[in-house]
Amino acid sequence: MKIKLVRTGGFIPITKAVESDVNLTDKELAGLLKIIQSGPSAPRIKDGNYYELTVGSNSTPVDLEKVPDEYKALFSKLKSDLKIVK
Amino acid sequence: MCKNHFNPIHCIIPPYMLTRLMESGNKKIADLAINSNFRSFRFHNDRIFFQQSSLHEKTILGLIAKQTGKEIMQMEVYDCKQKTDLAGATLLWDSKTNQKLTSVAGKNVIKGGKASWDFYWQLFGRNSIDNKGLLIRQYVHYDKGMDNAYWDGRRMVYGDGDGMVFTSFTSDIDVIGHELTHGVTENEANLDYENQAGAMNESFSDIFGIMIKQRFNNQDVKKSDWLIGEKVLIGPKYALRSMKAPGTAYINHPELGNDPQPATMDKYENLPNTQSGDWGGVHINSGIPNFAFYVAAYNIGGYAWEKAGRIWYAILTDSSLAQNAKFIDVKNLTIVHAEKIFGINSPEVRAVKQGWTEAKV
Repeated sequence: MKIKLVRTGGFIPITKAVESDVNLTDKELAGLLKIIQSGPSAPRIKDGNYYELTVGSNSTPVDLEKVPDEYKALFSKLKSDLKIVK
Repeated sequence: MCKNHFNPIHCIIPPYMLTRLMESGNKKIADLAINSNFRSFRFHNDRIFFQQSSLHEKTILGLIAKQTGKEIMQMEVYDCKQKTDLAGATLLWDSKTNQKLTSVAGKNVIKGGKASWDFYWQLFGRNSIDNKGLLIRQYVHYDKGMDNAYWDGRRMVYGDGDGMVFTSFTSDIDVIGHELTHGVTENEANLDYENQAGAMNESFSDIFGIMIKQRFNNQDVKKSDWLIGEKVLIGPKYALRSMKAPGTAYINHPELGNDPQPATMDKYENLPNTQSGDWGGVHINSGIPNFAFYVAAYNIGGYAWEKAGRIWYAILTDSSLAQNAKFIDVKNLTIVHAEKIFGINSPEVRAVKQGWTEAKV
């Protein structure tokens, strides 16, 4: 399944994105999103970065600090592959 | 006779009686009455002025003695070792033991943190971020190749940069001063982080960040390049922002394209108040108040922190500055404070007005 991770915000606001095929079932992805989605009242970090995960046509703001251990390697790779959107 | 004075005329005397005494044929009584009238006039006007001044204005004007001088900066620097777990970061340095460091990023944030603390303390009598001696906590080597720095409400966090477009975000003192000033703003005006108030929040950080750098390098308004983060963004022609000419910090950059900051209000970017909209363009539209400050400071001349800095610090710490303030509110307050500090028809007031006019606010 294809997923897209987008990073926005920062000291200068640049957008970075990466798309990748992952070996996760719909159920696994739904469970993961439930864990890592950021709450509506998440504080606005001054100059902070924000991440959004898109699966299919649904985009969800996510907090990567909440990523469970078994998915950490996947998200570490996604983050390192982020490219500036020109 | 009033028991606090040896001269009866220094006691409370009705004005009509004082007028009669000033016209007295007895020269000694007339002289005392004239002297007393003059003192009363000055005392009355001083009292009105002091009543209308905020605590911080009084501090700026030197009307309140600075704290005893016993206050010292307290700082801790942590190494995240390229991870994102701040709680698991290792203590690298603290101001109590002042151990030797090999980490360049660590040395950078100590230097920048000290320059920032000294700036606020020595110029405004402000004891750290909260004016109560808050321990400054700085975290370096955050995440792998992280091209950012931020203030999370309690601490400053710096990435090493990706090494291609950005180098370490600890490389420029103004970036460190910028992040620390987010903490100061949070403890004072606590401006909303969205739309114009958010852009003002960003602008205050740039304004104090650049002054912290200028003071550290002993640069006056003419010597300064007015660039924020010129080392952080790799390449001799680039910087993260230009306060002198917003929109020119980087042009035709192979990765970033063009600096999107406007310098004037007619070019204000109406962006959505969302994560991807930079909360209404807080890092974009900050170019407008940045430019107003630059013009004001440049026209005043000398060191920016001596006069323009006093005015902008007075606004930042003015309790009447609303959390959702717009640029026009800040403009009006800068004029009010410039008039209070330097006089209504002073060159400083004219320079401040000129700054906002040039920024078309």
